[in-house]
Amino acid sequence: MKAPPPSSPAIDPNNHEGPFIIETQGLSKSFGSQRSLNEVTLQVPPGTIGLLGPNGAGKSTLIKCLLNLEKASAGSAKVLGVDIRTSNRASRQRIGYSPEQDSHVSNMVGCEYVTYAGQLSGMPFHIARQRAHEILDLVGMGQERYRKVDTYSTGMRQRVKLAQALVHDPDLVFLDEPTNGLDPVGREHILRLIGALRKELGTSVVMSSHLLRDIERVCDQVIIIGNGRLIEHASLAELKNRHQRIIELTPSSQAERFYSTITEAGRNVVRLSNGKLRVDSDADSIEWILELMQTHRLPPAEIVLNPDALHEMFVKTIAAADGKHS
Amino acid sequence: MENILDLSRWRECPRGLLYRIWVIARNGLQFELRTRLFRWLLAASWFWGVSIAVLCLLFNQSFTTDSWLQNLGTHFGPRIGAALTASKAIVLLFPDVWIGGFFTLILRAHSVLALLFSLVALTALVPRLITRDRASNALTLYLSRPLTSMDYLLGKFGVIVGILGLLWSAPLVLGWILSMAFAPDRDFVAYSLPPLLRALTFNAIALVSISCLALGVSACSRSSRNAVLLWVGLWMILGTVANSPKTPTLLRLSSFSYDLTEVRTGLFQTESVLRAVADIPLLPSEVVEKLNQSAKRSDAPNFKNALCALALMCVVSSVAFFRKLRAE
Repeated sequence: MKAPPPSSPAIDPNNHEGPFIIETQGLSKSFGSQRSLNEVTLQVPPGTIGLLGPNGAGKSTLIKCLLNLEKASAGSAKVLGVDIRTSNRASRQRIGYSPEQDSHVSNMVGCEYVTYAGQLSGMPFHIARQRAHEILDLVGMGQERYRKVDTYSTGMRQRVKLAQALVHDPDLVFLDEPTNGLDPVGREHILRLIGALRKELGTSVVMSSHLLRDIERVCDQVIIIGNGRLIEHASLAELKNRHQRIIELTPSSQAERFYSTITEAGRNVVRLSNGKLRVDSDADSIEWILELMQTHRLPPAEIVLNPDALHEMFVKTIAAADGKHS
Repeated sequence: MENILDLSRWRECPRGLLYRIWVIARNGLQFELRTRLFRWLLAASWFWGVSIAVLCLLFNQSFTTDSWLQNLGTHFGPRIGAALTASKAIVLLFPDVWIGGFFTLILRAHSVLALLFSLVALTALVPRLITRDRASNALTLYLSRPLTSMDYLLGKFGVIVGILGLLWSAPLVLGWILSMAFAPDRDFVAYSLPPLLRALTFNAIALVSISCLALGVSACSRSSRNAVLLWVGLWMILGTVANSPKTPTLLRLSSFSYDLTEVRTGLFQTESVLRAVADIPLLPSEVVEKLNQSAKRSDAPNFKNALCALALMCVVSSVAFFRKLRAE
């Protein structure tokens, strides 16, 4: 049986009425006196969700608590509608997890390892083996699959970790820093794959990453965590709408003419140290600047709308949260 | 956009918990079977199992009318022939003592050797149980699946059961079945069954206690070398100290190899076998005295304490195991 046709429009988390893939109520986790998660209450609809936060914010702890790898100190949580406390095993039946750190069984070759992971989720051997080879093809593992995992490079280990998380065809996958250690081609490949999981298979993805561009590229929702608290949960589109619209211009020549023309048009322009121009915009469109360039016969320029919008939004949100809780 | 995920879907009902535990156990066993040391041990223990069958067959044939052994005896002259006939008569007069005694000694000897083979095999296996899973963060792989740490424990326990089953229980039972297949009458089955049951009971006690200890030791370290050193220290060094008669009882009981020796002695009740043989009339008084002396030496004064010590070790090992067993 092949994958179903795409049918997964982006969902606005604030206007969604269920079912939710993750529901938490006052979820807290303490390690001694330190509180890693502080009463996190969430309702996450299906989609591709980016989990953001500075180092030590509690992203990995949240994922581990949802998987019952760490026992929550307080609060409750449901994953795919199953309570993680009352139905410990069942809550992980249709979940995949690719941890941040290396995780493999020593002395196993790649395809054996992925097959074994499938069997541990209850797949019969022959189906697990077939799926293992298909998934290893998808993540871009060639003949390396017949080598021991202990001998793999960082990039290969990332791929095989992703493969073991997907082998049992889960409904929800937690990916903790899935592009760490990948070369640009490998990163591109894996990001395409992650993006396609929701669109083509209907598999929801929760992806924790420090690389905001990766999140921006594949995710439709963002959860921001800081100091163990939930700071923000919104769709990426909504976050961008809240952000001040900016256009970044890289003129091929005549940068001064660009500057004066845009300033005369009544826009606020800032010269950046790298020669680029940063222009305030009032719409999510670059039509007006194209018209301006045509009218004044300006030379071609590279135009980027809302560059690093997520990054700025992230930094502002974290700063605001720090100010609020300090 | 073209579909990039061209793969089969799996929407069947997943197999149950027992299957997943079985997968862990089978995988561990497969790895063990690939090692040369284990293959050698397997060959040696099965050779010993077949040897039991051969020895018992020789014993059985000694008491069969017109058996080849008796016929062979007559070839060495009338004296040997008469001795064989006389011994046959004694056995037929006291079948419980002779058959039960013979099997007790044979199966006890088997348990000594099988325990040694199992401990050697476990020395190589201990790092592969949990230590390496901890070192390579494989616990995350297990515990992020629909498995709990108890399921993981049962899977690893299954590996040890498989190892000890192949090295110990299976050759023992097979040897007994083969020897009974050629038994001249049902007395042999009836009188050899109690020693077999005692051997299997000891096998089960050793299996549970050694498994718990091996799992506990394996969980305590993230380095294979440390795990092996700890295991060898508990087995050999503490065992050697405990064997010294001057060692205080409490210290002796802290050695699992001493405890297992005590339990084996207590279970097989060799002293009752020797006393029963000594009670047989017509035996020379020197032989009777020596048998009685041996019976005194075969006593297990710390049998119950040894059982309690083993139980305590199981509890401590389980606590160590569950404290260390968490995804990192």
